[in-house]
Amino acid sequence: MLEIKNLHVTVGGKPILKGLDFTIEAGQVHAIMGPNGAGKSTLGNVIAGREGYEVTQGEVLFKGKNLLELKPEERACEGIFMAFQYPVEIPGVNNTYFLRAALNAQRKYRGEPELDSMQFLKLVREKLKILHISDDLLHRAVNEGFSGGEKKRNEIFQMAVLEPVLAVLDETDSGLDIDALRLVAEGINRLRSEDRAMIVITHYQRLLDHIVPDRVHVLADGKIVASGGADLALKLEEQGYAWLEQGGIQPLDVELRA
Amino acid sequence: MSALAQQWGESLRSAVHARGPRWLDELRLRASDQLSTHGLPHRKDEDWKYTPMRVLEKLNPSLGGKSGDEVASELVFPAALIEDPDCMIDICDGVLMRQEGKDRPGVTILSLSEGLQRYEPLLRKLIESVDISGSAQAFAALNTAALDQGLVIHIDGQVDAGTILLRWALSGNAGPSIHNFRVFLLLGEGARVQLVEQFESVTDAGGALNVLVHLELGTNAVLDHLRIQNEAETSVLMSATRIEQAQGSRYGYAGFDLGGGLVRHDLKTVFGGSDAHAAFMGAFVLDGATHVDNHISVDHASPDCSSEQFFRGVLGGRSRGVFNCKALIRPGADGSSVRQSNANLLLSPWAQIDTKPELEIYADEVEASHGATVGQLDEAAIFYLRTRGLSENAARRLLVGAFCRAVTDKLENKTLAGRITEMIDHAMPTYTENRGQVQ
Repeated sequence: MLEIKNLHVTVGGKPILKGLDFTIEAGQVHAIMGPNGAGKSTLGNVIAGREGYEVTQGEVLFKGKNLLELKPEERACEGIFMAFQYPVEIPGVNNTYFLRAALNAQRKYRGEPELDSMQFLKLVREKLKILHISDDLLHRAVNEGFSGGEKKRNEIFQMAVLEPVLAVLDETDSGLDIDALRLVAEGINRLRSEDRAMIVITHYQRLLDHIVPDRVHVLADGKIVASGGADLALKLEEQGYAWLEQGGIQPLDVELRA
Repeated sequence: MSALAQQWGESLRSAVHARGPRWLDELRLRASDQLSTHGLPHRKDEDWKYTPMRVLEKLNPSLGGKSGDEVASELVFPAALIEDPDCMIDICDGVLMRQEGKDRPGVTILSLSEGLQRYEPLLRKLIESVDISGSAQAFAALNTAALDQGLVIHIDGQVDAGTILLRWALSGNAGPSIHNFRVFLLLGEGARVQLVEQFESVTDAGGALNVLVHLELGTNAVLDHLRIQNEAETSVLMSATRIEQAQGSRYGYAGFDLGGGLVRHDLKTVFGGSDAHAAFMGAFVLDGATHVDNHISVDHASPDCSSEQFFRGVLGGRSRGVFNCKALIRPGADGSSVRQSNANLLLSPWAQIDTKPELEIYADEVEASHGATVGQLDEAAIFYLRTRGLSENAARRLLVGAFCRAVTDKLENKTLAGRITEMIDHAMPTYTENRGQVQ
């Protein structure tokens, strides 16, 4: 579904990603872990299409299409969703209004009929029920005055409504207490499906206690340096990233990347 | 000193022969002389520093002086903003065209000449109170020198007159002209009314309107004033609203400017008694080569009065906005409260805003706050919206709409608020995908 080959990205002239390779298929959940400054968020931003990230080499294919040629909104319409590490507060824009406008923009792009407000409300109620979220966030302005937990839950709620093919969850666990983390993780688990791929970018292993990934990748210094099963995350948590740099990964059942 | 003003002044002077009443003829002569001698406002007039007369001079209008019959009768006025007003009055090219509505006991609507016969002392006091001296007051002088067409609305004490809609139009017939008109709205003790003014050109032919409105609020009277201005870029609208508020009266203004080649609105209220309140709010959403200048002044001449000013500006294209709000708190006006706020979004590198909140405080026990900001749309918010599937244009429009809704959300009439929101949406600057602007 998503194929990244030898991706090199600079930000303000500074190389951040230095030859990253990554592939994910429908139905899979992959975790990307790594120390600060490794390039994890850069990867998310490049997939979402944020400005200021210059791709100097390599390619990103999504469903066989060159993703890098598409505008952020076209990527969204093609089925990519990014849950932000820091969801933006947008005063004055009603959450429901915004989400309906977004969904209808995507439906229009795909040649599907737009939903009127009654149809949309019905859909929203279903999704809220699945995620066990109360409807008070519908009536508020987008993320305005939301707590950290509410913001992250709102991201997951948007994902549920927009039903992406590929979701990138950028440090969705950051700033959450244990209870909020569990709630958000449960929401994500409910949205796992055979047709959907998810990339979970995280700093800590604790999110992966709740969301068990199919694959774990370690991103360090702009490259994926190790990939393995869910137990790789546990090992990292135990031994820290420094252990990687000392070449400590060899004894593990992980494939090594150049 | 401009040739245009001199020409108008001389022409008006020669037109004053015993039209009466005598005091008014004398005043017309004085005003004509002021206009000829001092000319139009210029950059050296502090209050006109950011509003040059170029567009008016280029239009080079002659003095409009048609009688009602000569104005095309089949003019299309814009659709009425309010459904089923209690009274609707249409004024085209400075001439009263039509008045529709139910007769309400206690509400008297007259032409200026009829009004002068019935309420002469009161109208004389108001007419003579207008400052017509110097170039800064050129449009007041012009309006006074040309004083002929007008409207007098008198509402008796304790009467609720409902909603009065004034629709203003310029026909553009017979070349560009400047039309003068005067309105008097007199509210007795405890009277109430909603005044809605709609300024919209039906053609792009261009023209100029110079309107002076007197609003007199008796003790505990309540006036809710809404004004929508959506003139063509070829139109000039000079207007002044002079408000006098007696004790306990409440005046609320909501003004929306969505167009106009050269638009100036001076609003001035004087608190003549204690416990009065005035709230001014509005939005200007400009694009192309529009120019809108709002000057608001509140004179806290009495204690325990409060005033608020809340305006938002959105400027695209090569538009220019000027916003000046001033509160003067005179000695002894203790217990006064003033709040001023003006926030602006600049959406184009060529757009310009000059905003200036002013507070002059000469009393001790006063609460006052003021603030003005100029900014751009939050790029992080635009990106966030785009990642959900909205186009850049749609994302920007959503944010601009939200910015303006801070004003429209305050309107009590939600149907009207919805309509104004639609008009704002329509007036919003449009973007091309590469972030340049199309006009």
